Amino acid sequence: MGDPISLSSHVSDGSISGSSDKLVSEDSDEPASKGSDELVVNVNSHTGEPETGFDPLLGWGCGHVNFEPLIQSTLFKSADNGSIINDLATNYSVSSDGDTWTVHIRDDVRFTDGKNLTAEDVAFTFNTAIGSNSELDMSNLEKATAVNNTAVEFKLKEPQSSFIWRLRYVGIVPEHAYKKETYGTNPIGSGPYKLVEWDKGQQAILELNENYYGKKPYFKKITMLFLDKDTAFAAVKSGDVDIAEIEISHANQTVDGYKLVDLPAARAQGLSFPMQYNTGKKSLQGDPIGNNVTADITIRKALNIGIDRKALLDGVIYGKGAVEYTGVDQRDFGNPEAKINDSNPEEAQKILENAGWKDTDGDGIREKNGTEAEFKLYYSATDQTRQALSVAVSEQAKQLGIKIDLVGASWDEIYANQYSSAVLYAYSSIDTFNLYQQYHSKEADDTYRNPGLYNNSIVDGYLETALRSTDQDQATKYWKLAAYDGSTGFGPAGDATWLWLVTIDYLYMADETLDIGTPQRNAGADVLGNIYEWKRVDTANSTSK
Amino acid sequence: MSNNEKIASFIGKKALRLTSLLIIVCFASFMLIQYSPIDPVRAYIGEMPVTAEHKAKLEAYWGVNTPPQEKFLNWAGDILKGDFGTSLIYRTPVIDVIEERFTASLILMGISWLLSGILGFALGIIAGANQGTWVDKAIKTYCYALAAAPTFWLALLLLIVFSVYLGWFPIGLSVPIGVTADNVTFFDWLKRLILPAITLSLLDIAKITMFTREKLIEVLSSDYVLFAKARGEKGLDLILRHGVRNVALPAITLQFLGFSELFGGTVLVEQVFSYPGIGQTAVSAGLKSDVPLLLGIVIFSTLFVFFGNLIADIIYEFIDPRIKQQEALV
Repeated sequence: MGDPISLSSHVSDGSISGSSDKLVSEDSDEPASKGSDELVVNVNSHTGEPETGFDPLLGWGCGHVNFEPLIQSTLFKSADNGSIINDLATNYSVSSDGDTWTVHIRDDVRFTDGKNLTAEDVAFTFNTAIGSNSELDMSNLEKATAVNNTAVEFKLKEPQSSFIWRLRYVGIVPEHAYKKETYGTNPIGSGPYKLVEWDKGQQAILELNENYYGKKPYFKKITMLFLDKDTAFAAVKSGDVDIAEIEISHANQTVDGYKLVDLPAARAQGLSFPMQYNTGKKSLQGDPIGNNVTADITIRKALNIGIDRKALLDGVIYGKGAVEYTGVDQRDFGNPEAKINDSNPEEAQKILENAGWKDTDGDGIREKNGTEAEFKLYYSATDQTRQALSVAVSEQAKQLGIKIDLVGASWDEIYANQYSSAVLYAYSSIDTFNLYQQYHSKEADDTYRNPGLYNNSIVDGYLETALRSTDQDQATKYWKLAAYDGSTGFGPAGDATWLWLVTIDYLYMADETLDIGTPQRNAGADVLGNIYEWKRVDTANSTSK
Repeated sequence: MSNNEKIASFIGKKALRLTSLLIIVCFASFMLIQYSPIDPVRAYIGEMPVTAEHKAKLEAYWGVNTPPQEKFLNWAGDILKGDFGTSLIYRTPVIDVIEERFTASLILMGISWLLSGILGFALGIIAGANQGTWVDKAIKTYCYALAAAPTFWLALLLLIVFSVYLGWFPIGLSVPIGVTADNVTFFDWLKRLILPAITLSLLDIAKITMFTREKLIEVLSSDYVLFAKARGEKGLDLILRHGVRNVALPAITLQFLGFSELFGGTVLVEQVFSYPGIGQTAVSAGLKSDVPLLLGIVIFSTLFVFFGNLIADIIYEFIDPRIKQQEALV
C-alpha cells in the first residue's frame, strides 16, 4: 500500500500521543467485529442515510455524491489512479456522430436472487432513471435499448463525452424485481454485498454476496451506521466503530487505538467572480447582474496571484487538504499550464497599480475612476469552515488594497446575489460535464451553474468540442485547453474566472487494525470504493504504543 | 343537568374543538412551509450541477410552481378521504413513515412519562413532608437546576458522561450495532432506551415535584389535617392518608397536561441520541419542505397532545370527587 508518490492516502498515526482522553475499551457492548472479518463504518459523505433506500434510481450511489453502491454493480468502475475501467462492461464504443453509445457486458453475472443480469436489465435501469425525478440527472438520455443479451445501446439527445460518468455510477437493478415503492428497502443487485437488514434512522447491515463475480472483499459483513459526525466521534471514542468520518475541527484530536486517515476530496472550494459589468440588467428571476470591480480582470488576476493559498490551507484547515488553482488541479483533465504562482503580493500590487487601481484617498482601499476596489462575498452561514476561509481571504485581500465585505447567508439569499457578488462555493466534480456547465456561456442563465455568467467564445468552442467528442482522450485534451490554451481560458492564467483556494480532505478515524489499501485518487467521499482491498491486520504488527 | 346530558355536551364541545384545532394547525403549518425561505429543489440538489431540463422536472415533483391554495386543497381533499399522501423525501406513504416512527417515540415517551410521574410525585411528597429541612432544600435546588437546563444540553451531558466516559450505555441508536432484528434481545433493546428515557423524564420531574410539594404543604396546613393531628395521627400515616390522597389526582391531571412538553422534548432527545423516532423525522420533513409528511406529523402530534389534555379534563370533570361534590352542592 505504501506507494510514496501517490497522493491518495496520507495515513498519520494518531495513537502515539499520551492518553489525554480517558477511554473505555472494555465495553461489554462492543460489537463482535473487532479483530474479525466484520466491519462497522460511519461514513456520512458516502452514505448519510439514503432516505429513499438503496435504490440507485433514486440517488443511491449516484447524484449529489458519487460513490460505490456496494449492493449493485455498475458498468464501469474506477482504478486506483482515478481512470475508468470495466466492471460489468467488457468494452464500449461510441458512434462517429457521438449520439449512440454501445456497451457490451459480461454474460456470467447473476443477481442475488439467482437470475441472470442481462442487457435488458441495463436498459431497464437507465430508461427508468430518465423519469425518476431524483438526484440522478438523465436528461440527455433519449433511450436505452438491449440489442441482444450482452449489448446495450444508449441513444443520446446530444453527444456527451461525460456520459461515461453516468455509466460509471448508476447501479444496475433487476427488471424482474424492481418496484419503485419497495426496491429501496429490499434491493436486489449483483454487487459485492447484499442488504440483510435496514433499521431506518440507525443502521444498515450488509453481508458478502458469496456469488459475486469479481474479487471478493475480505470483510464478510459491513454494518453502516447513520450517526451524525459528532455522535460518530463519540462512537470512535467508545470504540464502537472501525472507521468514521469526523469533522475537520477534530483533526488534531487523538484516540487510542485509532489512526487518522485523510483522503483528498474531489470538490474544491473557491470564490466565483461576477464577470459582467453592472449595466442595471436583471436575471430572469429579477436578481441583479454584474459587478464593476470583479468584472475587471486585473482585480481577479491580482487576487489569484496575491493570495497565499498555502497559508489558508495551514491556517484554516490544519493543512488537511491541498492548494487549488483551477478547481480541477488533481484531475487528469486538469491543466497545469492554467495555474499561476501565487503568494506574490508585490506582483499583485504592480498589476493593480498599472491598471490604475490606486489608493488616492489614503483609506487603504484602492480606487479607479471613483470606484472603490470593494465587493461582497457571500458564504453559507451554517458552514464554519467556509466562514473561516472567507474571513482569511478577506484579510489577505486587505493587504492588497482590496476590500471584501463578508455576508453569511442562507442558500436562497446566496443564489439571488451570485451574479452581482462573489460567492464561496464548493463547486467542482470528478464529472467533466461540470466543467461545461460551469464555464459555457450557454449555461449562463438563471440557474447557478455558471454563477459568474462567464462568456468567452474561444472557451465555449473548446468545451463544445470536448463534450461532443467521441473519444475520452480527445475530450481530455479539449477540457485542458478550455482551462488555458496559452492565451486564454477559464483558469487563473487566462481569464481568472474564479479564485480557487483549497480542497479539503475527508478525515476518518480508522481502527489501527484496519488496512484500507490504496483508496482511489480524489475519492475522499467514496472511501468504500476500494472495499475489495480492505482487510484487518494483526494489531501486534501495527505501530506499538 | 343529568349525567348523560353532561357527557353528551362534553363530547360535543370537545369534538368541535378538535376539528377546529386540526384545521387551524394544519393551515398554519402549511403556510409556514409555503412561505419559508427554503427552496425545496435547491435544498435537494445542493451544489450539484443539474441541467435546466432536470431542474424543471424536480420542480414539478416538489410542486414548486403549483399555486399554494391548490396544493393545500388537494392535500386536504385527500386527507378527508383518509389518504395522507406520499412523503417527498422518503417516497413511501406518509402513514407508513408515521406509523413506524411514532411507535418508537411512543415507547420512549411512555416510559419517561411514567418515570417522571412516579419519581416526581415521590420527590414532591418527600420535599413537602419535610418542608424547610435540608432534604426539601436539596430537592428544590435540584428542581430549579433541572428546570433551567435546556433539554439538548442535558442530553449531551448524559451522553458524554455515561456513554463516552463511563461506557455504561451505548452512544445512541435503539438497536445494537451490527445485530439483526431477530437476534436483538429484550435486554439489548431496554439498555438503549434507558438513557434517552431518563433524559426526557428528568425535565418533567421538576415540574411535577414542585407542584406536588406546593399542594402537599397546602394540604398539611389545612383544617382537616390539623384535626387529624389533634386526633393523634402523625408521620407517614398522616401523609399517606390525607396528603397523598388529596394531591394524587391534581398531580395526575398535570402529568397528562404535560403531553405537549413531552412531545417537544422528544424531538431534541431523539436528535442527540440518534433515536429513530417521530421527532427526528419531523425535523427532516421541515428542513426539506416535505409538505405531506410534515402535515401528517402535525396532525398526529396534535391528536396526541389533544388527547393528553382530554384525559386531564375527564379526570377533572368526571373523576375528581371534590368537583362532583361541588356540583351536587350547587
